[in-house]
Amino acid sequence: MADSDENSAADKNEDEMVGYRQQPGKLPFAKPGSGGKDRFSRPTDDAMIPESQGGQKAQPWGPHRHDGLVSGQVIGKPTALVDSRWKVTGQAHYGDDVRLAGELIGRIIRSPHHYARVLSIDCSKALELPGVVAIATGADAANKFGVLPVTKDEHAMAVEKARHAGDLVACVAAEDEATAREAERLIEVEYEILDSIHDMRDGLEDSENPIHDRGRYHIGEANVQKRVFQEFGDIDGMASSAVASHKQNWLFAGVNHAATEPHAVVAHWDPSGRLTLYTPQQVPHYVHRALADVLEVPMHQINVHRTFVGGGFGGKSDPFPHEMCAAILARKSGRPVRICFDREEVYWINRGRHPSRIEMNLHADDEGRICGIETDALIDGGAFASFGHVTTYYNGVLHTAPYEIGAFHYTGARVWTNKPASGAMRGHGAVNSRCAVETGLDDLAEQLSVDPITLRLANLLPPHSATITGFRVTSIGMRECLERVKEASGWDEKFRKMPLGKGIGIGCGFFISGSGLPIHWDPNKFPHATVHLKIDMDGGVTVHTGAADIGQGSDTVVAQSVAEVLGLPLDMIRVKSRDSDTSPVDLGSYSSRVTFMNANAAISAAMQIRDELLDATAEITGADRTKLVIGDRRIFAKNDPAVGVSYLEALHKAQEDRGALVASGAYRTPPMGRTHKGAAAGLAPAYSFSAYVAEVSVDVETGQTKVEKVWAAHDCGKALNPLSVKGQIIGSCHMGMGQVLSEEMRYGRSGHLMNPDLLDYKIPSVHEMPEVVPIIVESNDPEGPFGAKEAGEGPLLPILPAVCNAVYDAVGVRTAELPITPDRMHKLIEKKCKSSGVKDPLDLSAPRLEHSALQDTLASRAAEHAERDLARRLDDDRQPYHNGALFGLDPTIPPDEVDERWAVNVIPSEEYLASPRLAGSAWKHTERRHRGDA
Amino acid sequence: MVQHRLPMLPSAGEVPWAASVNGVEKQLNIEGNAILLDVLRDQAGSLGTKRGCDMGTCGCCTVLVDGQPRLSCLTLAAEADGAEITTVEGLADGHHLHPIQEMFAECGGSQCGFCTPGFLVVCSALLEENPSPSDDEIKCAIEGNLCRCTGYQQIVDSVRAASEILTSGRGVGDSTAPKSDPHPGFAGE
Repeated sequence: MADSDENSAADKNEDEMVGYRQQPGKLPFAKPGSGGKDRFSRPTDDAMIPESQGGQKAQPWGPHRHDGLVSGQVIGKPTALVDSRWKVTGQAHYGDDVRLAGELIGRIIRSPHHYARVLSIDCSKALELPGVVAIATGADAANKFGVLPVTKDEHAMAVEKARHAGDLVACVAAEDEATAREAERLIEVEYEILDSIHDMRDGLEDSENPIHDRGRYHIGEANVQKRVFQEFGDIDGMASSAVASHKQNWLFAGVNHAATEPHAVVAHWDPSGRLTLYTPQQVPHYVHRALADVLEVPMHQINVHRTFVGGGFGGKSDPFPHEMCAAILARKSGRPVRICFDREEVYWINRGRHPSRIEMNLHADDEGRICGIETDALIDGGAFASFGHVTTYYNGVLHTAPYEIGAFHYTGARVWTNKPASGAMRGHGAVNSRCAVETGLDDLAEQLSVDPITLRLANLLPPHSATITGFRVTSIGMRECLERVKEASGWDEKFRKMPLGKGIGIGCGFFISGSGLPIHWDPNKFPHATVHLKIDMDGGVTVHTGAADIGQGSDTVVAQSVAEVLGLPLDMIRVKSRDSDTSPVDLGSYSSRVTFMNANAAISAAMQIRDELLDATAEITGADRTKLVIGDRRIFAKNDPAVGVSYLEALHKAQEDRGALVASGAYRTPPMGRTHKGAAAGLAPAYSFSAYVAEVSVDVETGQTKVEKVWAAHDCGKALNPLSVKGQIIGSCHMGMGQVLSEEMRYGRSGHLMNPDLLDYKIPSVHEMPEVVPIIVESNDPEGPFGAKEAGEGPLLPILPAVCNAVYDAVGVRTAELPITPDRMHKLIEKKCKSSGVKDPLDLSAPRLEHSALQDTLASRAAEHAERDLARRLDDDRQPYHNGALFGLDPTIPPDEVDERWAVNVIPSEEYLASPRLAGSAWKHTERRHRGDA
Repeated sequence: MVQHRLPMLPSAGEVPWAASVNGVEKQLNIEGNAILLDVLRDQAGSLGTKRGCDMGTCGCCTVLVDGQPRLSCLTLAAEADGAEITTVEGLADGHHLHPIQEMFAECGGSQCGFCTPGFLVVCSALLEENPSPSDDEIKCAIEGNLCRCTGYQQIVDSVRAASEILTSGRGVGDSTAPKSDPHPGFAGE
């Protein structure tokens, strides 16, 4: 009874409260930063508000699902990286800058032999050295780890065998570096040297001592780590209908990321017995898992702290043995241990682009359609699996677009050799084979006497289509990329018209925007990315994300997304992305996934906060909730901007009774792709496209090639931060140009790496760098955050073939070996002189083009397709389009379901095995489990 | 394979060393054979000076010794005894960044940021000597510095922008001042 009396009393007069009450007017919240003192409010920047929302931002590609969230704050504006001021003042702390009290210096003892059994390790002399605190060997860490759960084949230090020169054998922690280095010398290791292999072709053969033993799954007795066979489309028909065929055997040298920061790590077990690992990692979560495996402690006992990362490019994405070593040494010694690599050690750990032998066959029919691509890629994985499983697929499947093709045959194999392990590097797996395809298309155009850009424009897949392998491609800006570089470069006036030694060439690219498969879990169970937001009374937003900022600006793009949705200036957002203790699990910075996935997750979290702010505003003002919009720190009615409240007023209203607002947003890819073996490799929620034109000059007497200018168009969906997108495009040109002209991990006759330093491993300096004209194409991806796709890796792909094709235009020679160093070029020119019967290379003639009748056919088809594409991208109710329609098949059904000639085959036939190509010969072996003798 | 390794110990013995590092007089005891880079990072507290290659190829470790850019990884500390050394930490005036720092941040001159300290000290020396350098002069000044992220173009843009600030006599604001107008829409109403 008493209760109900009180309740009814409260109902009578809500203002009458029992107990102490804050006097009105006292202790107001600090006003600076509150926003909205102006009773009237407008959107921050009308020019940035999309047309679909009544703003002035033109949307030639149609509206987007995030249009209603645009407040005109930061999205689409050139934005300085949120952490850039730390970097320019020297206060950004990278791996080696973490200095803990009482630290020890760790050094790694590395195998001097390519392949050897470790018979014994004698540490006694080293342990006697004053200042040496701890030594660890393979015996201290028996468990295997690896970046992919299916191929864990690494140990912290050699257990049984050292597999390449530079492989880790032991490690030591000492009071200072000199002592540690001296201890390194005093540790005596007895080896039994085994026969090593260095030529990737040898890896295909049976071996007495395979570098790894995969048990029942071992392929023959060979060093084949992974093999892939795939056939799609009308395989039998491709050669018979071909009127032009291209064949080239490529040899690509291995290249290293050459990030300016050498790897470094600090490990510290705190007094509670928890490990904190400070490491410049692209993928802290994988290290987290690997540490738990190797150290045999639960993951919750480990905090992985990502320091600033001095460049990654894929080279800091594996869990590394030296990270395990630091943790083991720190555990043994009871003190923090810091290990910093010499530049040479960076090359020993490598994980760079695979040295590759690629045989590329392309066929075109009489209508100028690409009726077949046959690729055979043998890639040299070095001593460990790393990401190689995926790389083997990517060398094939990532060149099944942007063209509509009649047939696709791929055989790929990755072998172990006794070299530093190859792994993921910017443009993972796609770069070399893309170069081979694009130069092949140039050759086909030459054979058909048509313009290579027209040939490409007449064979593009339309937006919202499926590739021959079943990838779901949504937005495609390929056509715009090609048209814009063609116009910007003055293509028609230059191509095949420039004097000897001057040339121009085209190349295209296609890359995933976030791998669709989270490799550690079922994509249908857990999200790919999760972002947490917390907003307390000060109004600033704390963003917790595990996305690893490696310099590409992921912190910035996540902050931008939150700022945009909440209508806040960027400085009110603080991103906390360093510690695994506080960051939601994230797959890290690889496969160009961060902008797409983390920004999407951030938007979804911010939308929840936005909803709460709008609810609170509606409650305060009594305005119609559906009419409320967010401007700069003010929430107001769109039809009457005078009705509204400041951001802080709305926030404090929303915080009543509960304090800080928190929200969690996640992103998961939609179900995609087909079901054949390997169908998940290369699946992505969106794909980026690019087209570059490069202009080069070749000194025909010395063979020196110089890239003069590059017009680089990239379709990134929507440039959330155009400054960064341009930076990525130019930076990609730099890295790709290095690979095509000068960078090469050179191995000597004994198999030894000859240039593990930045003096002999030549990355382009400012003088080699051409002027790059970045051209941003925005195709407004339907699922991307505000329409965005990736811009970090895709832009690297086209530069290689563009330069190769430009070299052909300049001197008429086709290169099949990268890098095109002056000596290689000189040999090619000499050969060309001989075959054309000229003595002086200056008398050579540059190639010329006389269009055939096919040119007009292609041009008109390209024009038709341009209209088709425009209609498709603006049509919300579009029909499916499967690769194959260009060849007369029903576009709405996958061709293999309607036409028996169109095969999907992932097992090689007996007939193929009778005469396999190089990598295809990996299939001559039988897995042990399928053999009687196993 | 035979390993030829010289003993690392005993050390060369400690010697006294004095220098002005970013305007602060440092008096240290250093190993006689110590490299300037090590002394700066491990003893003088300049962790902003970066180690990239140890052989003078990348330029990350560049510092100014008496105003001239020097590769600190190829410089014996003893050579800089008594010198005035400026590292990246010494470029800013309190919370007012040097225009070259501000513009590297604003124009995309710094991505991962590891090579940035080297570029900054080189470019600040260039601008000290020549406040309005041409593009070619900028390129020649930074030819000894490697950057793996930017492709140099936005670095050159940054130097050009900093040069404009310097020649116009404008300074760079206090970085502790609020970044966004704390009273949006209030001014002038």
